Amino acid sequence: MTETDLLRIDGLQKSYGDEEVLQDISFSMGEGDAYVLIGPSGSGKSTLLRCVNRLTEPDGGAIYLDGVRVNDEEYDVDELRRQVGMVFQDINLFSHLTALENVSIGLEKVAGLDPESAEERAMAELEQVGMADQADSYPAELSGGQQQRVGIARALAMDPKLVLFDEPTSSLDPELTGEVVSVMRDLAKEGMTMLVVTHEMGFARSAATKMLFLEDGHLVEEGPPEQLFDEPATERTAEFLERITEAESAGSL
Amino acid sequence: MSSAQEDFRTPGIDVSMRGGLTLVPYVVFWGWLLSRWINDFLLPAGVGVDSGTPYLDPSLFEPISESLAFAVEYLPQLAAGVWATIIITVASITLGFFLAVPVSVARVYGNYTAWASLVFTELIRGTPLLAQLFVLYYGLGLSSWIRELPLVGVGIVPDQAFLVAIVGFTINSAAYQAEYIRSALKSVDSGQLQAGRAIGFSRLAAIRHIVLPQALRFAIPGWSNELVYLIKYSSLAAFITVPELFELGRQIASDNLQYTAVFSLVALFYLAIIITASNLMGVVERRVHIPGLGRGTDR
Repeated sequence: MTETDLLRIDGLQKSYGDEEVLQDISFSMGEGDAYVLIGPSGSGKSTLLRCVNRLTEPDGGAIYLDGVRVNDEEYDVDELRRQVGMVFQDINLFSHLTALENVSIGLEKVAGLDPESAEERAMAELEQVGMADQADSYPAELSGGQQQRVGIARALAMDPKLVLFDEPTSSLDPELTGEVVSVMRDLAKEGMTMLVVTHEMGFARSAATKMLFLEDGHLVEEGPPEQLFDEPATERTAEFLERITEAESAGSL
Repeated sequence: MSSAQEDFRTPGIDVSMRGGLTLVPYVVFWGWLLSRWINDFLLPAGVGVDSGTPYLDPSLFEPISESLAFAVEYLPQLAAGVWATIIITVASITLGFFLAVPVSVARVYGNYTAWASLVFTELIRGTPLLAQLFVLYYGLGLSSWIRELPLVGVGIVPDQAFLVAIVGFTINSAAYQAEYIRSALKSVDSGQLQAGRAIGFSRLAAIRHIVLPQALRFAIPGWSNELVYLIKYSSLAAFITVPELFELGRQIASDNLQYTAVFSLVALFYLAIIITASNLMGVVERRVHIPGLGRGTDR
């Protein structure tokens, strides 16, 4: 692995009432890693992701970003979130702002750039996701795939050390997932550190440096995609991957 | 309790006019009013006509119609009341708005402040407006306190009763506006607030830059209703001696005993102000409309 971990998670724990959603989750990522998190619905994937930028406060365990413990009363949540981008399943673009403004507002109001540099930077991000020609469109005027690409640009604009993707293609029509996956694949290739919850196994196979299989709040198995696909260590992993690849190929027929 | 578009008082009347009508009636009506205000308030005595007297001799119109002659005689006296009504309404709705925004944000996003906000809005919406004005004017003696302030009642600065009316209507309107804005705030998808937090906005900054700009747009239809009500409710200021439109009409009618005729003229003024106000709000609503989204209202 890389010399220093960019993200290290140690014994992470989260419960809602009596229900333990995450139990003793530990793993670490180096810079440039693209991890894909898989597991049945309700297995805690999204909760795990949301714990990383503390949209959900973990109950126990430690999260280190660049060696600094970030789930700490002392540590400023907003400071953490400036370093960790997030792409949502529901996309959540700001409806009253154009694509360009969606990307530039954080640069201007959070990072404190002057409006011109913010706009310039935002435009560059839109170009990267292939949305520059729609810069002046409002979210409601864009397709789901286009919206999600703007969502990715919005996260990237803040220069994050790590980007979290929470099922970025799940709310999209099947024919629109391709454009989003291809943007994500390019990002992974360019060395962006990414932690991705997705059922897009094509992306996992081609871009993931590691896959993590989560079930009932436990980290059941982790390893390179070839290992999980071809020689899974546990029966559960094999079953889950079989089901999901079947569903996928059925969908693409 | 209600959606953003719901009306909190009584059924609204659709007074907006779409297309077709030209600007001519507006120009005539507001041009005439403006000329009256300039003549009555700004021109020194001796220049122009005396305050409240018609430009033309009403008897000239008698051959055409008695009613027209009556209108020509008394409309000028009501012009000053229209001015007072407009100032009270505009000042109160504007000040009330700046009070309503924090009150509604506190209600939706606050903890203890939500309770304070709830108490305020329910207290104000649950008691009669006239009672509120009486409490402020007679009960709390706000008028005698305001009277001591410098400049009150001097020159164009209105007297204490007028200012108490503005305070009363501001507080009342703030409560109603807060309700409209509150439901509008709730109709903004909470995922956007979260997305704002995720790029590093503080909670307050995310509310300010992301939620409020959308909520205030959604609140426009309800807010327009509030404006229309306030124009009419401002007539209650008559009960604390403010010489606004209704009060001037009452005074004139008690002189000439032509109640029906005088109050018909008063009603026409209210109607004209309200039609103008709702058309202006329609323009505002179209101007700030977010492209691609369904229009915030289906009126």
